[in-house]
Amino acid sequence: MAKEFNVLITGVGGQGAILMSELLGEAAVKDDFNVRGSEALGMAVRGGSVVSTIRIGSEIYGPLIPMGKCHLLIGIEPAEALRNISYLSPSSLIILNLRGIVPFTVSQGKSNYPTQDEILEKLNRASRQVIRLDAACLAEEAGNPITANMVMLGAAFGGGQMPVKLETIKAVIQSHFPAKLAPVNIKAFDLGYQACQQAVKN
Amino acid sequence: MKEPAISSDAPGEKLLMLGNEAIARGAMEAGVQVAAAYPGTPSSEILETLTKVAQKFDIYVEWSTNEKIAFEVALAASICGVRAMASMKHVGVNVAHDPLMTASYIGAKGGLVLLSADDPWAWSSQNEQDNRYIAEQGYIPVLEPSSVQEAKDMMADAFRLSEEFKHLFMVRSVTRISHGRGDVVLGEITRERRKGSFKKDRSWLVYTPVAARKNRLLMIERFERIRQAVDTLPYNRLKLVDRARLGIIACGLSYSYTLEAIKWLELEERVSVLKISTPHPLPQELVKKLLKSAAEIIIVEELEPFVENKVKAIAGEANIPVKIHGKNLLPVIGELSTRKVTEAIARLTNSKPPVNFTKLDKLSEETAPILPWRPPTLCPGCAHRAALYAINSAAQRVARDYGKPTEPIYPGDIGCYTLGYLPPLEAVDTTICMGASIGIANGLAHVVAAPIIAHIGDSTFFHSGIPPLINAVYNKANITVAILDNSATAMTGFQPHPGIGHTATGEETTSVKIEDIARACGVKFVKVADPLDLKKAADVLEKAIRFEGPSVVVLRSPCAIIEQREKRQRGEKTIPYYIDQDKCNEKCGACIKLLGCPAIVKENGKTIIDGPLCTGCGICVQVCPHNAILQES
Ligand SMILES: Cc1ncc(C[n+]2csc(CCOP(=O)(O)OP(=O)(O)O)c2C)c(N)n1
Repeated sequence: MAKEFNVLITGVGGQGAILMSELLGEAAVKDDFNVRGSEALGMAVRGGSVVSTIRIGSEIYGPLIPMGKCHLLIGIEPAEALRNISYLSPSSLIILNLRGIVPFTVSQGKSNYPTQDEILEKLNRASRQVIRLDAACLAEEAGNPITANMVMLGAAFGGGQMPVKLETIKAVIQSHFPAKLAPVNIKAFDLGYQACQQAVKN
Repeated sequence: MKEPAISSDAPGEKLLMLGNEAIARGAMEAGVQVAAAYPGTPSSEILETLTKVAQKFDIYVEWSTNEKIAFEVALAASICGVRAMASMKHVGVNVAHDPLMTASYIGAKGGLVLLSADDPWAWSSQNEQDNRYIAEQGYIPVLEPSSVQEAKDMMADAFRLSEEFKHLFMVRSVTRISHGRGDVVLGEITRERRKGSFKKDRSWLVYTPVAARKNRLLMIERFERIRQAVDTLPYNRLKLVDRARLGIIACGLSYSYTLEAIKWLELEERVSVLKISTPHPLPQELVKKLLKSAAEIIIVEELEPFVENKVKAIAGEANIPVKIHGKNLLPVIGELSTRKVTEAIARLTNSKPPVNFTKLDKLSEETAPILPWRPPTLCPGCAHRAALYAINSAAQRVARDYGKPTEPIYPGDIGCYTLGYLPPLEAVDTTICMGASIGIANGLAHVVAAPIIAHIGDSTFFHSGIPPLINAVYNKANITVAILDNSATAMTGFQPHPGIGHTATGEETTSVKIEDIARACGVKFVKVADPLDLKKAADVLEKAIRFEGPSVVVLRSPCAIIEQREKRQRGEKTIPYYIDQDKCNEKCGACIKLLGCPAIVKENGKTIIDGPLCTGCGICVQVCPHNAILQES
């Protein structure tokens, strides 16, 4: 059994990070792992930055990932992934959605949004493996743009390091959604999974 | 309503739970029959969870109008022999403080548990207060979980202990417990239900000075018995390592960080650890044992040096020569973390953390300048944006008539509208605690010459806005109170309140009208306006501000999130607006500069509306000087 596998999900309020960590955590419990995690609920969800953590394994105690100990970063929003750079180590796997959400402060001229190159340059300095994808595009391919979070979750499994079984997470997704919505979410998950596997091979 | 997994009646089953769900589950396992609360992050999901199982398990749940009432509802049930709880965020306990301080004289008949959810680092709060001090002041024993599993177990045990010692107990959670997740093994749900009965007993329940003196003595005796019992409470655990130089006292959640730090530093065989789950009263014998065993001690606890000071007193009294560390190595501000605890323990043991924190800090520092500023903000379509814009325009108009340059003053309150402090609205000048907008306005009215417009949300008005409004009438404070009525307690998750017309469990009830209350308080100028009609709303507000004496304007328009959600359920489409680029003057940007709606953005120099975000509220149309904003057909 894995001793410790730490997953950090970063994004913006409303992108579905909480649901991802809930599903992942539930699947990990079903696979009989110990699970710890923490959510940003409340003030932070009004369009602000959000961070969800899920920790899986036999030797985890606290709800938060210690600095430098993140194994897998799921960046649903690129600048928010960058904001959490101090959790990374050279061996962290980063799955990065390239679609940025520019905050209103940028339109108001009160702050700037980094370029994709700036983001990647910094992340590449922190970790050796950055896998990029366009989750919105794959979600549309799956049939609904709101499934971008399931694309990201699929990609997280496609990275190949996740201790939770593929069947388990799929069963959890299947039973979480009403029968009508489950297939499109599973499809989004599969597309993310394949995209990531493809990227890992290349 | 979908039944939550936590109502599963399968003892031994392992489930993933949010801390607040685990707390609710613990109460169910104890057979709680009455649960009352007022919402507040990070506590709200406790009662929300209980509303979903209320019917099935025959639990009376209510969203009370404020925390004082929530606690009194639970206290009454306990007096009648029924197990009861009140849950609230840390500052909510301030509101309940008055009954709480006498409730500990009463003690408990039915198990009585106060759940306080503290918020180190003030993630969603106006301060970082440490409620262990409130508990201490009231002789209230505190149980502090170190994990989600313990949150459930302690909650269940708190009821049992409360009845055993006939005293109320506090379970103190923190954000990372309440909003933490963990695997939890379920216990059995108590199905037995008691009938409440009220027995008149004036010497116990009527707090004349004589009764106070008598019951205070009884309370102190009860507390002493609890003090003696906590040494053997299994949640408090001492692991002594032979010849360990360092002893660690780890309190509540900090125990989890401590375990990780010890593992990280590979000190398992070199340090002794005392896990403390009852910071008040402390397990004195266990503390003494540890103090005697080591040369140095560090107390690991979040916020104030509450346990540290007590441990120092114990060491002093018992003459134990030991060096005691705590807040000299750990911050009083914010949350602890594995890193902070690791660094502190590393210093005392001359060991080296396996991660180079300095390097990671440097990486963070180098990254910070290129990160965008992403504060939480009012949602697209939020009526508070319109309301605050209208208040600004009206107040500026009146201020111009003051002769010399005068700035209107906006005492604000706590809720989503607090986010209106941000540019471009900048319409919040004070935020202190719930209800303080009107209280502060009362004070300002007697010392400054300026238009004073307090604004307060509907839930907050019911919670604590009414007495200061009466005060304004009584003491003739010339203020305007704008009540931003979005028909929800939105900030904390859209809970219902007395103005909504239904209860926590969805039952229909009388909807209390804010304008009726204002009139009944004696306010002579009371008007209701739709904030989304900016001009009309501003005109009404202007009249109100010019009115001699206190005036009230209820700005009523439903929360955009709830409205969008309901529209989707009804299958209705939202028709967004767009900007006609032929009419739009690229240099103008009035819509962005005046409103700061997240749906209006600049893209390649052009101002555009992000269609999927737009709710069709239409206030941008009203501020565009070029008539360039049109609704899609
Ligand atoms: C004493 C106290 N209890 C609870 C809270 C948590 N809290 C913050 S805002 C808020 C309610 C806001 O509701 P409302 O006034 O209707 O404004 P809205 O968020 O709907 O705009 C609550 C309960 C608090 N800060 N203080």
